[in-house]
Amino acid sequence: MIETFLFVVSSLLAIAGAIGAALVRNLFHASLLLGLCLLGIAGLYLFLEQHWLACVQVVVYIGGILVLILFATLFSADVMGAVQRRSPALLAAGGLAAVLASAVVVRLALAGRSAADARPAGDMRPDAFEGDTFTVGDLLMGDWFVPFFAAGLLLTVALVGSVVIVQRFRRPAGEVADA
Amino acid sequence: MPDISPDRLDGYLLVAGILFVAGVFAIISRRNAIGVLIGIELMLNAAALQFAAYGRFAPSAADPQGQTAAVFVVVVAAAEAAVALALFFAVYRTFRDVDLEATRELRS
Repeated sequence: MIETFLFVVSSLLAIAGAIGAALVRNLFHASLLLGLCLLGIAGLYLFLEQHWLACVQVVVYIGGILVLILFATLFSADVMGAVQRRSPALLAAGGLAAVLASAVVVRLALAGRSAADARPAGDMRPDAFEGDTFTVGDLLMGDWFVPFFAAGLLLTVALVGSVVIVQRFRRPAGEVADA
Repeated sequence: MPDISPDRLDGYLLVAGILFVAGVFAIISRRNAIGVLIGIELMLNAAALQFAAYGRFAPSAADPQGQTAAVFVVVVAAAEAAVALALFFAVYRTFRDVDLEATRELRS
């Protein structure tokens, strides 16, 4: 009972955060609402008994990516006054895209659910789940070694690349300021 | 009707679907590049949640393939956020703004 209650609370946190982040005009508030959404998803990972993933969600997403986004929001605009006006055309386009996307999502979710229901009974039960850190580590060093290596390469390239991008634009920016 | 319970797949699929649709709406309707980035993060989170949920209720639950895939989604999101923010920084230095409507230098 209490489990269902906490599950609903986590879900509502994620949903409210996501809808708020998409709709709110102030970008700073949108970033904070994104943090709320990420926290709710971390709670859902706990209910999926994927504790390690919940920790990764909090540490990497909330501690890393969200802080980066907040930093970018703070340096880019006059923070609290920056109200992002959206033209009716953009809002209509967004609404249309959202309707199309929800049609696809509902169709895929129904297909996935019926595929899950088609399996022998008992598979949906959360018994004997061994998705712990050790098994994930074994997978990363075994079947998933090539993706693991590629992810490391991707992170290295991304970090070096972002430094290079910022460096390259440092000198022309000074010239623009002089002109 | 979806069966909302921590032990059923439906609740997770519902949350992930709403997150994905909210992300699509944010990407299309925001004019500021940071707002678009927030939308992308929402969509990536929806995908990771789906991976984790399907992996949790998979036929062989002892094999956490879904959880591992979700970790890779987080890795890709981290790399993407780093590159995107470097690009925003560069664009901001040039245009003094990250408004996608204002940065039209490359438009023919």
